[in-house]
Amino acid sequence: MLQTMQIMSYSLPVLYFITFLAYLYDFMNESKFLHNIKRLFLFLTLLFHVVYLVERTFYLEHLPIVTQYEIFSLLAFAIAFTYFLIELLSDIRGTGVFILIFPLFFQTKSTIFIKDVYLVNSILQNYPLGTHVITAILGFSAISISAAYASMYFLLYKNIKANKFNIIFKRLPNLEILDRLNYYSILIGFILLTIAIVIGFAWLPSAFPGFSYFDPKIVSTMIVWLIYGVGIVLKASKNISGKSFAKFSLYAFLFSILSLVLTGTILSGFHDFVN
Amino acid sequence: MDIIGISINHKTASIELRESLHLSQDEILQFIPILKQTVFSEGYVLSTCNRTEIFGIPKSGKITYRDIQKNLLEFKKVDGLSSEHFLNYFSCGAVKHVLEVAASINSLIIGDSQIHGQVKDAFLLSEDLGFSKTLMHKLFESAVRVGKRTITETKIGEGAVTISYAGIKILEKIFSSFETKAALVIGAGETGELAAKHLRENGIGKLSISNRTKLKAEILANKLNGDVIEFNNIKESIHKFDIIVSATSANGYILEFDDVKKMMKERKGKMCSILDIALPRDVNPKVVDIDGIFYSDIDSLNIIVNENLKNRESQIPLVNDIIMDEMKSFFKWYNTLNIVPTIKDFRDFFEEIRLDEIEKVRYKIHDYEYEKVDSMTKRIIGRILHNPTWNLKRISETGTNFEEAKIYSDVIRELFNLDNKPENNSDKDFDNNGAK
Repeated sequence: MLQTMQIMSYSLPVLYFITFLAYLYDFMNESKFLHNIKRLFLFLTLLFHVVYLVERTFYLEHLPIVTQYEIFSLLAFAIAFTYFLIELLSDIRGTGVFILIFPLFFQTKSTIFIKDVYLVNSILQNYPLGTHVITAILGFSAISISAAYASMYFLLYKNIKANKFNIIFKRLPNLEILDRLNYYSILIGFILLTIAIVIGFAWLPSAFPGFSYFDPKIVSTMIVWLIYGVGIVLKASKNISGKSFAKFSLYAFLFSILSLVLTGTILSGFHDFVN
Repeated sequence: MDIIGISINHKTASIELRESLHLSQDEILQFIPILKQTVFSEGYVLSTCNRTEIFGIPKSGKITYRDIQKNLLEFKKVDGLSSEHFLNYFSCGAVKHVLEVAASINSLIIGDSQIHGQVKDAFLLSEDLGFSKTLMHKLFESAVRVGKRTITETKIGEGAVTISYAGIKILEKIFSSFETKAALVIGAGETGELAAKHLRENGIGKLSISNRTKLKAEILANKLNGDVIEFNNIKESIHKFDIIVSATSANGYILEFDDVKKMMKERKGKMCSILDIALPRDVNPKVVDIDGIFYSDIDSLNIIVNENLKNRESQIPLVNDIIMDEMKSFFKWYNTLNIVPTIKDFRDFFEEIRLDEIEKVRYKIHDYEYEKVDSMTKRIIGRILHNPTWNLKRISETGTNFEEAKIYSDVIRELFNLDNKPENNSDKDFDNNGAK
């Protein structure tokens, strides 16, 4: 079982790479064949990823959400899956190449560094933790996607401004749609982060004797949550839009990544479960 | 093949000449009977703002393209027009030209889809007037098929190839829907009107027109269901518009950098697109530096137009393949026109001989023996005729060399005397060995 799991783990970056290439080729060359088939590639990759996660759960006898690299794999899946849903619902297929680069990166890093045998704290093998972590990961996936849409917005904005009618101009959806996709992704991310925070506050004090409201991860997540909350209010009240909102989205995302990295390395508190 | 035709188009004559020669539908209705009477047994007349074309099957071999030109120039007297302004087509070249026109690769703007409908209408008018028979009808079917295939199988009609349409394409990359947007068109001249029309056709929510001469603005606004903004009050009103198209003939800028900057303050940074399609320009191009302003002038719009024209030109080889395909099937059909009657006459000739010969023994043998002889002779004739029939069909159906098929057909008709049937029926001069 371990060998199968390892083979699957190494296959996943390859599958994400193939899917990414399919989206990239279609973006560059508008291939009639790939226009429809690339979605099938993504679906099959996601299916394979689900099988891998299920197998890992059975093998480890707990959800694979404990180590940083397990989280990376789950993050890769969450981003790809969220994008898959957005593509299905909106039928806007030209943006995948900008988003699927993230799952490729996260899964590759996960595959290289993930450990298949480690000791796990028994407190982490329960339902509230699963919900807390999964909603938090989905929330971060959504805001990662929002950052991708914000980047696309900037690219297209600059192209139109400079009267450059290149591939970016031809393939990306219009600015208003990108602005809307950016906003909706932030909204979904914010809701999921809210759920993760509520569950965390309800469950963590009873589960961890050393729990502190001033734990670096809690503080940084709260700041991220507040920043996005303010952004949503400003956008909803039409005080911010277009380029300013795209700028906001990118800065907020950079801040959240920075805070994740810092709290995961230098300022780690009780959220460090592996050690 | 004896189809001939003449064409006058943007490659051969100035717009003035083309306009003078343009035939309205009423004129075509009067002209076709003249053509029927003098030159063509069947044909069609196509006349658009860019071309006038007359093609058909001559009534006799003596009729040439000069006769068609003469007819046209007598019907529509145009000063300065001579035979040099006409292109003349014969046979395969004529069919190819008709199909190229239908495929829109012969148009002033390559890929202009309007021509598909115009060709179709011209053929239908011919049919209504009884001027289109078997051959023209088949050519019409091929032309329609070529038109359809060029749209579905190539990208010849894709991309904006006019300045105002290119402007719409830029707007489509900024706004998701025009229904909730307000547009101001400054200048009610030809260019402004075209831009306003494009905006209306694309579903703009609110359309306003402004022009130095208010009456002109009012006329255009009424036509397109819009309203009028006083030309002198433009600067106070521009903040209400998401799209500003400027197409005046004013010297100097109508909108300066500070005007647009002030406008964006009032719009609270909400995006605005300015399409400056005037020459000289109406808006200070420095406005492009203002956040939220998308400024495009004729030069930048021309980038789109030229690129799309280039893309369309790159599709011509694909369209030519389609034309070649359709020409092959057209000529395959056409060549069988000669062969089919020959094959029929050829088989009838043998059948008549067979029937004649077995009739002679009908009362000399038993019925069952007669039936055997009947079926045996049928088989013999069938086997004898199988190869020549099959080869004749093959020759007629391969390629566009109808001359070859005609030669074979003529040889068979001559050898078996198929055009003088009564003589064939006589067997008095033949002995029992089949010799005279």
